[in-house]
Amino acid sequence: MKRVESRTPRFVSFGAIVGVLFLTLPIVGLMKRVAWSTLWSQLTEDVTMQALRASLYASVCATAIALILGLPLAWVLARVQFGARRLVRALILLPMVLPPVVGGVALLGAYGKSNGLLGGVLNNVFGIQLTYSLWGVVIAEAFVALPFLVLALEGGLRSIDTKYEESAAVMGAGDFTRFRLVVLPLLRPSLVSGLLLAWARALGEFGATITFAGNIQGRTQTTPLAVYSLLESNPESAYALSFLLVAVCVAVLVGLRDRWIGGGAQ
Amino acid sequence: MIALHGTLINGSFEKTFDLHVGNEIVGVVGANGTGKTSLLRVVAGLHCLSSGELNIDGEIVDAPTRNIFVKPESRHIGMVFQDHSLLPFLTALENVAFPLIARGHSRSTAQRLADEFVEQFGVSHVASQLAKTLSGGQSQRVAIARALIGKPKAILLDEPLSAIDEESKPEVRAIIRERIAALGVPSLIVSHEIDDVRQMCTRIENYTR
Repeated sequence: MKRVESRTPRFVSFGAIVGVLFLTLPIVGLMKRVAWSTLWSQLTEDVTMQALRASLYASVCATAIALILGLPLAWVLARVQFGARRLVRALILLPMVLPPVVGGVALLGAYGKSNGLLGGVLNNVFGIQLTYSLWGVVIAEAFVALPFLVLALEGGLRSIDTKYEESAAVMGAGDFTRFRLVVLPLLRPSLVSGLLLAWARALGEFGATITFAGNIQGRTQTTPLAVYSLLESNPESAYALSFLLVAVCVAVLVGLRDRWIGGGAQ
Repeated sequence: MIALHGTLINGSFEKTFDLHVGNEIVGVVGANGTGKTSLLRVVAGLHCLSSGELNIDGEIVDAPTRNIFVKPESRHIGMVFQDHSLLPFLTALENVAFPLIARGHSRSTAQRLADEFVEQFGVSHVASQLAKTLSGGQSQRVAIARALIGKPKAILLDEPLSAIDEESKPEVRAIIRERIAALGVPSLIVSHEIDDVRQMCTRIENYTR
């Protein structure tokens, strides 16, 4: 017997094709503008190398901070019953929906050198200035990347059957041993995908970074900020850097293929 | 010795236990929902008593009125869960060695002893296979070996022969009896199979609603 859903209406097919073209066309356009013969020299220029170094350093540090803060947050959301859980989840997800520039303004309000809630104390007492510094970039990137990691880990923790932890406890494994020997291995797929997503989000961060940490070449200028600056002065380098970011994002998608892409093929 | 006199209230389920197990194997039989598995979970520390007292090997491990509750990891108990609960990302051998590693033994010592146990329980040919790939019977043998390896103070077996084929049952029963006798510790076996209980246990407790 022929299944009804196997007959796809023409307007649906047409809409899907237009959708694919809509997503593909900008990438094709970008590829067309890349000067392939000088790609390597564009990518190894001082300005691009500095931006790449800043991006790599800041995104790795931001991902580490997101992990340190995100794992306990995800654990609490997934496994602890408390009254304000919905409110806490909404707060954690806020940076995902907040316009990134607004995120940057909010970070200025918290960590700004003179008027920030904590920034003044950090500056006056410890001599630490986050604004217009590479650590400012790290904070901005961690702020926007954290929700991605929390969501992935929360989902992973919810899917772990607690019977494994129970059996490990009876076998003599204390809290930390259970976490290390039982929870972490079971959480690994979610942890890897969460880390990759958070890192990719941190790497591509623009609005919060430029607002909170500025766009100072050699200090706070990350790759997306360099693309923005180079687009006027040296478009070839801007396209080369953009291509590099696309390639990194494709690599992340390949890394997540089982979890995100493979799922649709089931 | 296990001495349990107390009540468990878990949601709408309520059960009062009155049990004393010396260095013997006690079988617990009864219909579903009569609290057999709950009894094992109380002794293991996976459920807390609502009132009363639980004493294992001379130590009070659960007494709510005196604010005493010893965590499962500190009770030193060997347990076979009804669904075996083997860690799916470990091999059969690593699962058997897990209680020793969890209690701080070196990996080499744990593996040496685990080798001996998987051999005795007839699963050495699947020792390097991931637990999730084992058949029901193999998984159950691994679970029993894992429960007995750590020289526990008490042994709790929930339907320990349910997945073992009929021909192999006498052999597995004999190994369980032999190992428990060698340890000389109180043991509780929950089973639907009255034959299994009769052949392994020195005494039978019948649970009713």
